[in-house]
Amino acid sequence: MTPLGTLNHRGGWALVKSTWTSWLQYRSFFFLLAFGWMLPPLIYLFVWSAAAGAGQVGGLNRGQFVGYYLILILVNQITYAQTNWTVGDVIRSGGLNSWLLRPMPPLYNVLSSELAGKVVYLAFVVPVAAALAVLLRPEVHPAPGGVPLAILATVLAWALRFFWGLWIALLAFWATRADALLAVQDALVFLLAGVVAPVPLLPAALRAVAAYLPFRYMVGFPVEIVTGQLHPAEIATGFALQVAWLAAALILARRVWRAGLRRYSAIGG
Amino acid sequence: MFQPQIAVESLTKIYRVPQRPPGLAAAIASLFRRTTQDVPAVRDVSFTIASGEIVGLIGPNGAGKTTTLKLLSGLLHPTSGSARVADCTPWERRPEFLRRISMVLGNKSQMIWDIPPLDTFRVLGEIYAVPPAEYRATLDELVALLEMEELLTKPVRNFSLGERMKCELVAGLLHRPAVLFLDEPTLGLDVSMQTRLRRFVAEYNRRSGATVILTSHYMADVVALCPRVIVIHHGRLIYDGGLSRLAARLAPFKLLRVTLGEAEAEAEAEVEIEGAEVIERENGRLTLRVRRGNAPAVTAQVLQRLPVADLTVEDPPLEAVIDQIYQGDLTGFHNLSGLEAAR
Repeated sequence: MTPLGTLNHRGGWALVKSTWTSWLQYRSFFFLLAFGWMLPPLIYLFVWSAAAGAGQVGGLNRGQFVGYYLILILVNQITYAQTNWTVGDVIRSGGLNSWLLRPMPPLYNVLSSELAGKVVYLAFVVPVAAALAVLLRPEVHPAPGGVPLAILATVLAWALRFFWGLWIALLAFWATRADALLAVQDALVFLLAGVVAPVPLLPAALRAVAAYLPFRYMVGFPVEIVTGQLHPAEIATGFALQVAWLAAALILARRVWRAGLRRYSAIGG
Repeated sequence: MFQPQIAVESLTKIYRVPQRPPGLAAAIASLFRRTTQDVPAVRDVSFTIASGEIVGLIGPNGAGKTTTLKLLSGLLHPTSGSARVADCTPWERRPEFLRRISMVLGNKSQMIWDIPPLDTFRVLGEIYAVPPAEYRATLDELVALLEMEELLTKPVRNFSLGERMKCELVAGLLHRPAVLFLDEPTLGLDVSMQTRLRRFVAEYNRRSGATVILTSHYMADVVALCPRVIVIHHGRLIYDGGLSRLAARLAPFKLLRVTLGEAEAEAEAEVEIEGAEVIERENGRLTLRVRRGNAPAVTAQVLQRLPVADLTVEDPPLEAVIDQIYQGDLTGFHNLSGLEAAR
């Protein structure tokens, strides 16, 4: 037994493929959702590039702001854990019963729609970001090794955002409206993860808070790496904090899941 | 040695339900001090079921049928007692256990809504790791039995309730479970669809030798499929045995249906018959309820005193018997312990 229960990759992969097929029926709905998610960074792209004008703000010029936000749009989309919003519904509606009756850990059900969702959303966001790049002429100067490090940080950022949201979503075992906490998480991501402004540009007090809370490591951190805003020492500290928060999220998700399942099997769905 | 497929011993499930009087003050108070009430759903239930049996689990709403099925399929942890299903303890939810059972719920769907059933079936085949040849053979067999070839490639979203139910059955049986739990499989279906599903379940049981527990509120399901029934009432097992004996044990009376000669019908119908209770009186027809032992005497009395054109003696319909149990009106039994002794 692993933390997931007994592994069943074969079933999991089949589930991913069928979720794709199913979701592709609703392309336009998911495209609209994805458009909604890219709007806030897009707005701040225009705000900051206008503010920079022909000069600089906080050491970044117009083209660098465009580069920062276009990459942020992609990273935000890749790391956005949309299934966190649906897990609670599955628990409340009794859909968890059919997950539990199958010889496959229920985490597969969640991960499969997560993975299927990524592909559908990115099919919309990547072309849009590419078109904007042609129009707005971004400037990106990654440090040597910045791109692979940023990719690694993005994968960790997704895992952190997913498992952090998951333990909150799993509170649905106890409280009917646990997703209010997910809205709080989204607000904190907006404020502290580099959406409203790149974290290095935040006021000192807010910047210190952002550096230690998990939210920056869900979106902003990989973007700061690839746009060359961080010194090697800051990158190292950042990875350490990101991994530490990920470990915390994994432990919390596992604990809450186990306790929730105990409660579920005691009171029924 | 005889090895039952399902063995249940003193199974008890007590739900602890939070309690709160109405009103805002009580709502606030409950934030600090929660009062709970113990609600027993299943109490001290024991039975065994052999491999290949079809057993009907019946009882009124809230009797504990679904709780029992959830305990046996591993979704619930019991408060006390034990159960073995297909050589496993259900609530440990081991993969080998989950591969041996299946639960089909009439009111819940496991189909993926937006894609054709064939896609859901394929996913299930993979999840249960059914070898491809076996998968194809099972699917072909089930599809032929249910006559649903034309449904396979249409999105489930557009299906009628009956069509969807056929899909649920295929989805539940693709991995050839040794134990099948059917919870209200005919809920909301029209009569001919009910009949077809019944025939399917009987045929599947005959071919596969699977053990089936079925709950239903339609007595026709139970009569058609279950030689043996287990009756649960207020969480307790009150009857376990042959369906045919159920009526005799629980409702020891017969129905006398009398048609009177037309001319005298109205006046004579007012006559009181000793030892019989008139339960229906309509257009010169009488239905009398008579204790089993009294039936011959009452029949003689009726023939003597009334202008009878036709007379039949029947067992009461199963619905009426069940209704009596549900209402707690157990004519002929002094108390429930008598009932339990009867099994």
